[in-house]
Amino acid sequence: MGTLIWKLLRDVRTALIVIALLLFGFQILWVKVTQRAVTQISPFFTTIAGRAGINAKLIEEQLFSGPGKIVQMMAGGENMHFERAPDMLSIGYVHPLIQIILCVWAIGRAALALAGELDRGTLELLLAQPVPRGRVIVAHLLVDLMTIPLLACSIWFGTYAGYKILGPFEVNLEEVQKQFAMLPFPVVVNAEFLKVDVWAFAPAIFNIMALMFAVSGITMAISAAGRFRGKVLGLSVVTFLVMFLLNVIAQLWDTISALRPFGVFYYYQPQRIILSGKWDVTLPCGQVNGTLVLLGVGIIGYLVAWMKFRGRDLPAPL
Amino acid sequence: MSDPILRTEKLTKDYGRVRALADMDLTIPSGEIFGLLGPNGSGKSTAIRLILGFLRPTLGMASVQGFDCWTQSVEVKKRLTYLPGELRLYENMTGRQLVSFLARLRGEPIDGDMDRLATRFDIDLSRPLVQLSSGMKRKVALLAVLVPRVPFIILDEPTNALDPSMREELLALLREAKIRGQTVMFSSHVLSEVESVCDRVGILQRGRLVHLETMESLRRERVIWARLVAPLQQWPDVPGAKPVTELGREIAFEQTGPPGPLFAWLGTQAVEEIRVEATGLHPVYLKYHGNAA
Repeated sequence: MGTLIWKLLRDVRTALIVIALLLFGFQILWVKVTQRAVTQISPFFTTIAGRAGINAKLIEEQLFSGPGKIVQMMAGGENMHFERAPDMLSIGYVHPLIQIILCVWAIGRAALALAGELDRGTLELLLAQPVPRGRVIVAHLLVDLMTIPLLACSIWFGTYAGYKILGPFEVNLEEVQKQFAMLPFPVVVNAEFLKVDVWAFAPAIFNIMALMFAVSGITMAISAAGRFRGKVLGLSVVTFLVMFLLNVIAQLWDTISALRPFGVFYYYQPQRIILSGKWDVTLPCGQVNGTLVLLGVGIIGYLVAWMKFRGRDLPAPL
Repeated sequence: MSDPILRTEKLTKDYGRVRALADMDLTIPSGEIFGLLGPNGSGKSTAIRLILGFLRPTLGMASVQGFDCWTQSVEVKKRLTYLPGELRLYENMTGRQLVSFLARLRGEPIDGDMDRLATRFDIDLSRPLVQLSSGMKRKVALLAVLVPRVPFIILDEPTNALDPSMREELLALLREAKIRGQTVMFSSHVLSEVESVCDRVGILQRGRLVHLETMESLRRERVIWARLVAPLQQWPDVPGAKPVTELGREIAFEQTGPPGPLFAWLGTQAVEEIRVEATGLHPVYLKYHGNAA
């Protein structure tokens, strides 16, 4: 088993490092975006709203009306407070780019794991050795259990490192007053909005890992039944794209909102975990832990892959 | 006959409505070199893949040293090594890494055999496989197959992409494997290779094993050709000699058994020239596959 895991890790090492650095780098960048948003842009809107005697949410509603609603949904929905630093930072965990990177890794690795090796013809080299087919699946599961935490942690490490470099967030009132000199009244800053506890972001790692594991498990099941890597990749990408779009559109269109629980992205709630410490999502049967649902989906995916792969014919490579 | 290493009974494989292999009954005793012949699509690779447990038989069974090839495929693969016809290797490894990786999967230590064979094959195991020619890659793969001391070696068209000297080297290695007591099954299109190294051959035609014969019996069959001074008046009745052609002064006999009586009769004739040729596989193969040879 160790030999097989060594080989599988060796195959993915370069991609693993690149993806981990991408996730890490993006979060550092997002801390910078947050710093600018909460220390330079938000004070402008909150001051105007305060002076006008209206809730800042009204300005947000105008900004995110019409097509902007989709952007709002992707950024965390109506309950987000963009003037607050933790809310802004948490967008880095649900940003579509981050979700795409996570899915690219999980889909790519799982699709190439079985169908990819079968398509390339290297699977028969491997299975001509006294290696049970089930052990190949278990080895891939163990590789997932090693690589997914590393990638999920690199997201939090990015937030941590970024905040260590750029935080704590402070407003330079003199500079902001100068920047918004057109305002006939002084800019007001709520220091409470700028407070960040980066450790509150750490529990979200488990939800991120669970999403990647679910995506990997489903793709592994498709891969175990497939023969051509292109087809498996295509089918998996379409499956998760539909789930992603379903999750976004169903938030805007009540008629299909009941379908949201059928996609894995419904259970991906790192923002909720970070901002409110709540792990549950609503299902018709009641509240359930979204992270556990994702883990369950991943386990079922691997079980299906295990059963399918052990009993199937392995045709000659074309 | 010693204990069989491979036994198949009514081994059958269907792909949908297509029967790729039908009712193959085959027993290969230990220490034999067995050649499996047939054109593309005749069922050779299907038979090999069934033995390796890559395919589940539709009907029948195959076993290696008593272990069922589908339900006990791990036990089967502990007892055999396999060289695929269409060779695909882990190209991000060096030759040494690949051979070591495969040996570790078998749980076998790498001894001096790897370097000894590498020297004999004239290959540099430290080079990444991606940089090697197809012939060199095949040598590395052959090395990986020949290093483990397993009782059964299966080679699917092993001489593809090998140069003539390396082909001879490989055939010599197969003979050495036989001397060590290993059993070899290999498929090939090159009849001369099969004739030179195999103890027995099987010919597949459209998924059916239509011919099984030992090379010893094939070698006992020969064609004796003679050119007479004058045209033959009457075919003789010589035991073991069957007249096959007469073209003017040229006559030919298919002859089995001791050639003495035929030579005795030829001694009574005015003969200009005599030539003796082993019948070999070619006519047998042509009988089933015509121009496909």
